[in-house]
Amino acid sequence: MVFSLTTRCFWIVTLLVLLNAVPGRAQEAARITLSGTVRGAHGETLPGASVAVPALATGTAADSVGHYRLSLPAGRVQLVVTSIGYRTITRDLNLTKSQRLSFDLEENNQELGEVLVTGSVSLEQKLKTTQMGVEHLNIREAKLLPALFGEVDILKTLQLKPGVQSGGEGTSGLFVRGGSSDQNLVLLDNTVVYNPNHLFGLFSVFNSDAVQSVDLYKSGFPAQFGGRLSSVVDVKLREGDRQKYVATGGIGLISSRGTLEGPINKGKGSFIVSGRRTYFDIFTRALNKRNEGKEDYSPIPDYYFYDLNAKANYTLGEKDQLFLTGYLGRDIFGFSSTGGFNFSFQWGNTLGALRWNHVFSPKLFVNTTASVSDYKYSLVNKLDQFSFTLGSRITDYTGRTDFEYTPDDRHQVKFGATATQHTFGVGRLDANSGDGRVNFGSDVNYYGLDGAVYASDNYKATDKLQLEGGLRLTGFRSGDNQYGGLEPRAAARYSLNEKTSFKLNYALMYQYVHLVTNSGATLPTDIWYPSRLRVKPQRSQQVSGGGSFLLFGGKYLLTNELYYKWGQNQVDFRDGAQLFANPDLDAEFIFGKSWAYGNEIYLEKKTGRTTGWIGYTLAWSWRNFQPQNGTNGVNNGRDFHPNYDRRHNLTVVVMHQLNPRLSLTASFIYTSGNLTTLPLGRFGVQDIPGSSVGIDPRPVPIYPDRNSYRLIPYHRLDLGAVYKVGTRRNNDLTLSIYNAYNRRNAYFVFFDTVRDKATNRTTGFAAKQVSLFPVIPSLTYNFRF
Amino acid sequence: MTAKTDLPMPSRLKPATLLLLLLALAAGCGKLQNDINVPLPSYSAELVLECYLEPGKVPSLAVTTSVPYLGAVLPQVPTDVTVTLTMPNGTLVPLAFNPNYRALTDTTSGEKFHSHIGRSRLVAKAGDVFKIDVQDTQGRHITGTTTMMAPIPIDSVEYKFNDKTGTNRKAYFLTNFRDPATPDDCYRLQLHKGTPTAKNLLKSPEVDMSVQDRLLNGQPFVLGTSYRFSAGDTVTATLYHTDFAYYRFRQSVRDARGANGNPFAQPSAIYSNVQGGVGIFTVLSGTMTTKIVK
Repeated sequence: MVFSLTTRCFWIVTLLVLLNAVPGRAQEAARITLSGTVRGAHGETLPGASVAVPALATGTAADSVGHYRLSLPAGRVQLVVTSIGYRTITRDLNLTKSQRLSFDLEENNQELGEVLVTGSVSLEQKLKTTQMGVEHLNIREAKLLPALFGEVDILKTLQLKPGVQSGGEGTSGLFVRGGSSDQNLVLLDNTVVYNPNHLFGLFSVFNSDAVQSVDLYKSGFPAQFGGRLSSVVDVKLREGDRQKYVATGGIGLISSRGTLEGPINKGKGSFIVSGRRTYFDIFTRALNKRNEGKEDYSPIPDYYFYDLNAKANYTLGEKDQLFLTGYLGRDIFGFSSTGGFNFSFQWGNTLGALRWNHVFSPKLFVNTTASVSDYKYSLVNKLDQFSFTLGSRITDYTGRTDFEYTPDDRHQVKFGATATQHTFGVGRLDANSGDGRVNFGSDVNYYGLDGAVYASDNYKATDKLQLEGGLRLTGFRSGDNQYGGLEPRAAARYSLNEKTSFKLNYALMYQYVHLVTNSGATLPTDIWYPSRLRVKPQRSQQVSGGGSFLLFGGKYLLTNELYYKWGQNQVDFRDGAQLFANPDLDAEFIFGKSWAYGNEIYLEKKTGRTTGWIGYTLAWSWRNFQPQNGTNGVNNGRDFHPNYDRRHNLTVVVMHQLNPRLSLTASFIYTSGNLTTLPLGRFGVQDIPGSSVGIDPRPVPIYPDRNSYRLIPYHRLDLGAVYKVGTRRNNDLTLSIYNAYNRRNAYFVFFDTVRDKATNRTTGFAAKQVSLFPVIPSLTYNFRF
Repeated sequence: MTAKTDLPMPSRLKPATLLLLLLALAAGCGKLQNDINVPLPSYSAELVLECYLEPGKVPSLAVTTSVPYLGAVLPQVPTDVTVTLTMPNGTLVPLAFNPNYRALTDTTSGEKFHSHIGRSRLVAKAGDVFKIDVQDTQGRHITGTTTMMAPIPIDSVEYKFNDKTGTNRKAYFLTNFRDPATPDDCYRLQLHKGTPTAKNLLKSPEVDMSVQDRLLNGQPFVLGTSYRFSAGDTVTATLYHTDFAYYRFRQSVRDARGANGNPFAQPSAIYSNVQGGVGIFTVLSGTMTTKIVK
């Protein structure tokens, strides 16, 4: 553990800020605190909803679970509650004592010319918050945008935000400000999701019907978050309709969805259950059956995925509420050959969380959560009496408690603690025969205990200056190995005037668990591994600063952010590393440093019939792995870019409400091409006499430099239309056209052999570019009754 | 018709609808794989050595050079290379430049190309250490050392048929042997079909697999195949006992080949067991047995 001068300074600042809260409380004793929850008409909480008293020029925004707290002077006030996309509530109150007051806002989707496309955090709130580098995504917004195969995917929608890169064509992996995809903390109702992907990353595990909102933090991480270096993706599930039973669903090109929600015990609570399943396998089975018996036909393996989300909440009393969340998702891949060989490959997440919300007073409440997260994969081969099984698993049991204390309207204090028991099943291999002659295996398990305490205060020093200081003390233990560190967080916002603010922040993060992968992409067979022995925690720091400007009467928000991020103990693996069932995985790691910098410009419009955004990022990402551990490092110790380094990234998203029934959308993306490693040279290997390879057919590539070739620029236009049908406009037809102008983007490049057709002899070698998706139209029917 | 009345489509959308239909028709049209021009930077060629000594056979080896990937197809065979093999007793044996160029283009006989060859058959036993020295006139210099592993006897081979009939009736084949107690032993098993003549054993085997004893050190090994042999097949199993360096070289060659054309693979370096160039220098220590599938 290293306590640097910087760390000590932040600790002192945090203490000062926290202590500052105490006298403030005494001075404001005569004030009244209002608190409660802001919900939509269907019982969904509304993060970012505004609760304000215009006459006093004061107000607040609901937090990520729709809670608000507002300190006001006693007496008569007129309270205004607004959320974009909902009808405003105005309430006259005579405040005599602190109280809880919740609001249910009706949707505002009837009148043309009003707000039609919603995002629940207003531009003014974005201007005023100290938080930088955060993207709030409302699922209603995501559902309007065109999507690959019509499958709404919130992670892919996040890729349209500045500073966020995708891993490749059509994939939902996120690469944030130079970080790798395993450096993202993905949370579903505060529970870690270890593999947020289906089908090797083509779809995310989040069913849009069940999701309420998504917040992506790219920098300025609040102190309650930790454990990953690069970003936090905070996904909240919907809570279900508290007033009536509702069934919704969708029938799409590759999957169908169904959701049921409704009240529990006359509105004391509510529930939602939502499921989704793809049906590739139904078509492939039919095709296989049709071609059964044909000699030249190779059966197509079965593949499908499903996921099931459930959430229930129940109000126990005035001050207590329970929330129960569950998720189960599986990808299932199976193959049975006529030769008697059976193969199955399954992977998926299982999550459960129970949260208890208790309100001590209008100024203080606590959320206490117990959760479990499990990710596993299993690969089984069977032939007659022989079987071979390979698998890996990570299971977490977590307890956490998060307090929020608002002593007055100048301070918002958060503090809490979390502890997680990890079980890492890093390599389970089992080979057996029915007669017992083959019976060997390997089962390598490690355990880890992860803990953290944190505190932060958001302090309004003056009307113009707002400060946020936080400190997170983290520790990790696995076997005899212990690590720990202090993670200071700091942010400041200075409002030059009502339309201009400048922000600055700093964050230090530790990551104690690491993804073991030898691939450029995230695969289901990747293994999570604890910090132990040689494998030290990864560490990164980031500073960012920028300005926000409200333009054209507050209709547009222009934001510019600069960032610099640097990290130590970044992990990679030596060439030829043996990652499966290896009891000494530590020896396969190599360590290096990373640094990334860039500028993000973001112009956003959230109200009116036409909404959307334009984002542009200019960025650099670097890595360096020196020779070590009997290897030449990576790239012989020279600096190199990771393959997701993109110099330019432009996104344009436009949503237009043509009339009450029809919305049109378009998204355009232009980025520098992915980096890839191409061989410069080759040589032939004949191998030993009697071997199956020779010089002619398959040359051996020599790769001198990592990621030295950049693919052609990537650009794509997607178009969409949502047409509401039915007398109550409850149903809709959603048309998506992915890659509308049929651009052949490069998925990867390889060198192929060129053969003489007559003799089948190799006559040369040629570079080939492979594209993944041409133009893909899709139609989805969504219903609600 | 009711729907048409209730859901008026603005007239300005009609061209857009047509465009969408056209785009839908275009879906899937056109190739998803195209030739492109990739300007590769210059590349410095290295010497490549491939030498498999085998007791009872005349030592031979191939010295070629690596080439730019998009260069000439056939390997470049340098003619100015001198090769010296150091025997276990320290005797220096020069291998003469005497290439069989025919093997470079003949891909049917299974004969391997050699650039240099000795004069007398190799005598070697387990534990013998050999050295190799390869130099050309441009100053490129490869050296290497290898030790002959003890041959591992094949305890037994067996087969078992599936329960199908006719041409679908196939057998899998099992090869049994025991790994010694020493760590880092590696094996290469080849299964050839047909009578075990020298000519047949030069051809591509039905099965060619490599394993190491990481999880089974000192224990019995059973290496099996899928259902692929028919009644009447003569199967010859050849088991080579190799060191880890040879196993790792083969794995790295496989990984490097696999990375070309696989978007999920990380390009791999070649792990040679020679210094000053690329390649492999090893002694093949094999045992063989034959069984007829009935």
